[in-house]
Amino acid sequence: MSELIKVTINEQDFEVEKGARLIDVCREKGFNIPSFCYYSDLALQASCRMCLVRIEKMPKLQTSCTITCTDGMIVTTQSEEIEKAQRAMSEFLLANHPLDCPVCDRGGECELQEMIFDWGDVEERFTEKKNVEPEKFLSPIVANDPQRCIVCKRCTRVCDEWMGEDAIEAGNRGVNTVIGTYGGWLNCSQCGNCIEVCPTGTLLDGVYRHETRPWELDQTITTDVYGSDGMQLSIGSRGGLVHRIVARDRYVNGLNGEFLDVKARFAHEFVNHPDRIKTPLIRYKKGGKLIPATWDEAIHFVGQKLTESGKNVGVVASPRLTNEAIFTLKRFAKEVVGTDNYAVSDRYDLSVFFDNLSAPLATHKEIRKAKTLVLIGGEPEEEQTFTAKQMRQAVRNDGAKLIIVNHTPIRLSAQASQFIHINPNSYDAFVLALTDSANDDANAKKLGIETKDLADFRQTLSETEGDTVVMFGGDLSPQAQSVLANSADAFDGTNAKVLFHPLPLYNNSVGANDLMEGKKSLSEVLKNSKALLIGGSLQEADTNLLANKDFIVVQELFETETTKYADVVLPAASFAEVDGTFTNNTGFVQRVRQAIEPVNQSKADWMITTLIAREMGADFGYNFSATMVFKAIADSVSAYEGLRYPALKDESKPVQVKHAISAKKDLSKEFDVLKSNVEKLSDEANKLTATPRVGHKLHRLTTLTSKTAQFHLLAHGNPKPENLLVSPLVQFNLDGTPRTETADAAAVGVTDRINLKVEY
Amino acid sequence: MSILSDVFKSTKAVILGMKRTLSEIPREKWTVQYPDVPVTVQPRYRGQHLLHVDENGKEKCVACYLCAAACPSECIYIEAQDDPRPYEERVGRDERYAKVYNIDYGRCIFCGFCVEACPKDAITHGYNFEISVYNRADLLKTKDDLLITKQKQSKNYRVALSTEDVDSEYKEVDSVGIKFRL
Ligand code: SF4
Ligand code: SF4
Ligand code: SF4
Ligand code: SF4
Ligand code: FES
Repeated sequence: MSELIKVTINEQDFEVEKGARLIDVCREKGFNIPSFCYYSDLALQASCRMCLVRIEKMPKLQTSCTITCTDGMIVTTQSEEIEKAQRAMSEFLLANHPLDCPVCDRGGECELQEMIFDWGDVEERFTEKKNVEPEKFLSPIVANDPQRCIVCKRCTRVCDEWMGEDAIEAGNRGVNTVIGTYGGWLNCSQCGNCIEVCPTGTLLDGVYRHETRPWELDQTITTDVYGSDGMQLSIGSRGGLVHRIVARDRYVNGLNGEFLDVKARFAHEFVNHPDRIKTPLIRYKKGGKLIPATWDEAIHFVGQKLTESGKNVGVVASPRLTNEAIFTLKRFAKEVVGTDNYAVSDRYDLSVFFDNLSAPLATHKEIRKAKTLVLIGGEPEEEQTFTAKQMRQAVRNDGAKLIIVNHTPIRLSAQASQFIHINPNSYDAFVLALTDSANDDANAKKLGIETKDLADFRQTLSETEGDTVVMFGGDLSPQAQSVLANSADAFDGTNAKVLFHPLPLYNNSVGANDLMEGKKSLSEVLKNSKALLIGGSLQEADTNLLANKDFIVVQELFETETTKYADVVLPAASFAEVDGTFTNNTGFVQRVRQAIEPVNQSKADWMITTLIAREMGADFGYNFSATMVFKAIADSVSAYEGLRYPALKDESKPVQVKHAISAKKDLSKEFDVLKSNVEKLSDEANKLTATPRVGHKLHRLTTLTSKTAQFHLLAHGNPKPENLLVSPLVQFNLDGTPRTETADAAAVGVTDRINLKVEY
Repeated sequence: MSILSDVFKSTKAVILGMKRTLSEIPREKWTVQYPDVPVTVQPRYRGQHLLHVDENGKEKCVACYLCAAACPSECIYIEAQDDPRPYEERVGRDERYAKVYNIDYGRCIFCGFCVEACPKDAITHGYNFEISVYNRADLLKTKDDLLITKQKQSKNYRVALSTEDVDSEYKEVDSVGIKFRL
């Protein structure tokens, strides 16, 4: 706690922390101060002048959003003089604002409406002609009605500070100021955060355009189903249809505030997609067609067939499923089949990370506050978007040091204080170099860097005064991950705390790893079993291992590569239709809440598995309530011990599971593998120099996105010009095939990270 | 109480009642031979709603849902539709219109709040009061029943002219002093 000072607000004395911002203090103490441009997470702007206050000994009214409290300050927030100024300001704002709230999609949750309700006048004195500009689309998902803008520049600030894109900027001056883009199109990562923070209806969700009005929607707080950051969001649904997804209110101060990415915000059209599997499907004979069946029939058929296969049944869970579903699948393997043949169909295995973890996991808040960030491999801007935002802000706003070790110059490296550009496939050498400074010269050679780079790296670490967060993921070999996770001491700074941050790829990769304790590798399970129960499709590359099995049951939303091999397909419910939990990359267990009734005849994954188990004579003790499944998890998995849904209720106070922290281990076997790997590396290697674009190659695998989520952009019937300038987006035709004309623009750079070869 | 006084009292009541009845017979008749004769409704009568169109036949409603929000009995159901086409090709006057607009007359209490709420003057109360149906489900009226261009109007009413003193019959009642009729 820092020093306390005395401030007098409206003749009341308060003790506040030194350095606190006046507007925050006033609001905290219950004095309402109107504002548009102030946004606590962003750089100061002071353009709206709604937040005026009178401070004694200062000549004019002051903008409280820019004032830092000083000792003995005497502030008045309400007086005739102030109100007059504020009313005048709001009148000016409306001078150019059209009166089209009835058609405006922001109407009902518009900050301008709210403010004018309190500070506006009934009469409008301006009779001059207003600026009128046609509405337009800045991209297929960002709609723009320029005349509604009040030039608060929140959008330009988030675009710059959160996303590092600078795709949207203010042009011209004075009354002619407009918010615009380069070339009239938004050539950016399409995160939609500008839409979220815009207080008016200037920037709007093009996907939800004119669909309904905010107060008609049921808002369900739930967790993102794409990224491992576990961003909290709110599903707006009406009558069984998901209409839109927005971030949580920024004043709630949940995990991610108003930040979401393109997938989380826009890629929800799969939920009510007409291609969803409608009924259970049975393929009565191999090579035949999938024929619709009733649930009773399908479950009976599955029970019979799986019983016939005895102990040769393997179970595979997708890291997209809820903890409840994954846990039930594991129980199915253990208790019904009695086998250890169960696996997670993730792109890389997180168990080496958690088995050797020698320091706690970093939370997103800790990343934001950290003084040194080390990123080894990975591309958070593509795969862990919120983590990337926290990193960028830690560097930009709080001067943290960012060290990036990567084989491609990823976009974040522009922000890095040190970018160690290593040769492709040489991460093993870097991990060796980290733990052993004796062979710097040899290692640097293999890495294709200067020896000095390693020394600089160590120096930064040792000089760090504050937390160090080390992030790495599947770009590293399992051995490298084990060694890194076990060597927290290698990153020790002066009085530092060292924290680790894994870079999992799916919303519940961490949960799947926690709950599938004792799992085998996917290929092993696929090879060892004659029959399979698969919750959520496998990645396309793995599906060839499914050929020639006796019997395969798949729980899925859509017909995919995997269901081609299935003998029975059971329609599963999406994340919007179930209750459950996901565990994110910081170890937070967060609630998934049911927003709509299951579409068609689908059922929650855990319920399907439970039905099959019951058919085979096993009773898991839960039939209808996810609460009971979670209780069972809490009772049997030590990291989740004692947790219950009510404890997870408040998303602003997330619960972190207790991942065991292991002591220093003897990893000589791993070191041997690393050493032999490094020896095999040649000293001459071509570095990859192209910066991969942040391109939303939505993960086209497992449950949700085999129907690639972004084809809704084209399906929506929005007016679009021929030369779609949103090149980073991978565009898809209505049938799901990629559009060739934009595909190459998307594949700039070399690495299609999705096809990175990862060993299981 | 003797039997006699009972008889006296009831006879008195019968006579008083019959006096009332008989005295009404020669008076002017207020009943209307509906439906042979149209009923006169007052200009501000709140009957079945009308959804209006502009001078070019474009629907005025922009599906802003304000009427639905104002409705105390929650009987209005709207589904909005984006319509980015130019004005000439649109269904409605603005870039959004109501694809579905239903009013459930099983629940409507004809309070007029929806009309009050509408920012576009798109909905008003018409005079149609003949909305009884044989099947309760038919009380749900859709856009086809509500649009001014489509609503079938009954011939069984006439709207009082604004100059007409439609209230006078009640005043007359007042002046005769028969208060209990009110
Ligand atoms: S931005 Fe707000 S005030 Fe402006 S038209 Fe939209 S709802 Fe109304
Ligand atoms: S577009 Fe919205 S966020 Fe951007 S300056 Fe205008 S009103 Fe502010
Ligand atoms: S008249 Fe009243 S009850 Fe009927 S639809 Fe309008 S607001 Fe609802
Ligand atoms: S009738 Fe009027 S209030 Fe109702 S949705 Fe249409 S425009 Fe809005
Ligand atoms: S909030 Fe202070 S000037 Fe806008």
